[in-house]
Amino acid sequence: MLEPLTHLARGPLLKLSLLVMVAGLFRAAVLQVWELGWAYGRAGDQVMSWPEIAKRTLAWLLPWRYWGSEGRPVYNIISFVFHIGIITIPLFLAGHVAIWEQELGIKWWTLSPRWADALTVLTVLAIVGLLIGRGVNTGSRALSKAQDWVIPVLCMLPLLSGFLVAHPRFSPIDPQVVYLVHLLSAELLLILVPFTKLVHIVLFWSNRTSSEFGWRFAPGAGERVRATLGKEGQGV
Amino acid sequence: MGADKAEDVREAPADLSVAERIQERLSYTIEKDRVVTDDLPKRFLEVFAAVLKHSNYRQVLDNYARVTSRCANCAASCQIYQATEAPEDVPCYRSHLLLDIYRRHFTTKGILSGHLLGREPLTTDKILEMAESFYHCTACRRCTLECPLGLDHGLVTHLGRYLLSELGLVPRALVVSTRAQLEGETHNTSAIPLPAILDSLEFLAEEIKEDKGIDVEFPVDKEDRQYIFYAPVSDYLMEADTLMGIALMLRVAGQQDNWTIGSKYNDGINYGLFYSDWILERCLLEIKKEAERLRTKQILIGECGHASRTAKAFMATYGGGPDAPGMVNILELTYRLWKEGRFTLDPGIITDRVTYHDPCNLARSGWIVKQPRELIRSFCKDYVEMTPSGAHNLCCGGGGGTVSVDEIRPYRTGITGKKKAEQLAATGAKYVIAPCANCKKQLREVIEDHQVNIEVVGLHDLMYKAMIID
Repeated sequence: MLEPLTHLARGPLLKLSLLVMVAGLFRAAVLQVWELGWAYGRAGDQVMSWPEIAKRTLAWLLPWRYWGSEGRPVYNIISFVFHIGIITIPLFLAGHVAIWEQELGIKWWTLSPRWADALTVLTVLAIVGLLIGRGVNTGSRALSKAQDWVIPVLCMLPLLSGFLVAHPRFSPIDPQVVYLVHLLSAELLLILVPFTKLVHIVLFWSNRTSSEFGWRFAPGAGERVRATLGKEGQGV
Repeated sequence: MGADKAEDVREAPADLSVAERIQERLSYTIEKDRVVTDDLPKRFLEVFAAVLKHSNYRQVLDNYARVTSRCANCAASCQIYQATEAPEDVPCYRSHLLLDIYRRHFTTKGILSGHLLGREPLTTDKILEMAESFYHCTACRRCTLECPLGLDHGLVTHLGRYLLSELGLVPRALVVSTRAQLEGETHNTSAIPLPAILDSLEFLAEEIKEDKGIDVEFPVDKEDRQYIFYAPVSDYLMEADTLMGIALMLRVAGQQDNWTIGSKYNDGINYGLFYSDWILERCLLEIKKEAERLRTKQILIGECGHASRTAKAFMATYGGGPDAPGMVNILELTYRLWKEGRFTLDPGIITDRVTYHDPCNLARSGWIVKQPRELIRSFCKDYVEMTPSGAHNLCCGGGGGTVSVDEIRPYRTGITGKKKAEQLAATGAKYVIAPCANCKKQLREVIEDHQVNIEVVGLHDLMYKAMIID
């Protein structure tokens, strides 16, 4: 029973989940660029300060802005650590790169086992920190939707199970079951990417641009709106 | 009090108008004879659809509806949330009121999940919740400094108010002023007749002559000049010191023949920024029309934050793109003339402690932050900075047009202006310079309601006192 399921998870399901994620992200990115272009075309003011937008976008990606910020500095630093881990581990873990090499014949630099272990533990701790941070803050607690709780937990599963796959002596469960959990939890996460806030993977780079374009209004739009609503000629 | 459920509003007894029941849900006064009372949810969605069709909001709504992390970083920098700690005052919570509607009714996923999962459609309750909440926000945009996904909740507030305004859900104070400005005989928000403005200018010129011994003219309808001056019209009667300071500075700096005021349109105020893109465009086109009538090259806005920001950020949008007239704020011009040595200020006149309040519309983007400070430090030796300041300033509490809504003063000074009162008191200053008419009104109410011992002045008020006249 386990073996056919593992074969399915390692084979077709992995391909399907990667396809869903990549296609979904590609769609989101293309739509974003297309919509930005469309908005730019209709904007009355098309003079953009691209260096300023790039500067703002970059500033938000760098960790030192968290120092002395009024926001939630500890929460944000934990989030930064989490992002480093969740991006680095899937991409540069030796076991994952071996799969790419096997399937597509390409390989790249990999994390040493020690660094992979340390980063995994750190990332799991960061996720716990984020969940606690979300829970103890009145504002985020009130705002949070189901996915805000589920997604961090879902991120933990492939990390924990992956650690146990690499170190079966720590596993209380059959290593084959752990491997299956690792595959299925990762695949579920990949499939959810385009349908949840995880889509920010391809939208994070354009959000400052999007906000800036948001203020670039279309001339004459106000009158056209009122005409559509049958208010043409009506006063203030 | 009043209607608590949507059904109550729509099935109001015949002897109590639906409009009255809507009014009871709002802390500001609306024009009851102009508010939509029939099937608010349907009408709201019609307005939303029309705005999406003709405007550029769709891309930013698509983006925001997808990426919010709901981390409440915004709440940490929102002075309203800091005063109330109420979940509904988290900026992202407020934005979600509109984003959830957008997602549910205008995205494929939202429409599908709505039908398949039986999600509740828009209710009157939700609309009235938005109508109240969007006027709690001052659109000061402090939250944009902290949001990791770059959301501008001020933009969502702006859009939310615009949609609601097309249903008549907008403070009467803003609409009545705008109606006087665009459709009244006086062409200004305070309905001040032109003779009164001209009399006031003549009086101010006489005051300057008596006080300083120098002839200063307030030029009206002079053609082919560099600058056409727009103050918030209330300044002509209520902020004499600011206008005298500006006129004196321009005279001493040799700019007497470089500026003019237009008699046909001279009100820089643009409440469109606060509640309607339709109004925003109309007011700017009036400014442009008068500038073209007098063949002036640039628009000069006086000490007013929102008037400056609307002219700077939106004149190109509505005034012809690259062909639109350029603008300059009086602080920029004054600073430039001072750096060129065109006038000097006596550092021995203002000896009391002075502090500076950054109007959000000038400082949030980093546009005008250093210039006034450098100038102030040159003639006000006891200058102290408030913390935070500059682009991170605290809003006066009356931003986004809320200062014009008198009936919400307790909220404005008690909640949104609370931290500002503490900030002002901590400086120990005699004067706070606030180069914005709306900030001045709000700060005066804040210091009155919190009994802070400080006087609110414009920058040119103090410059008037210290100007060296050769």
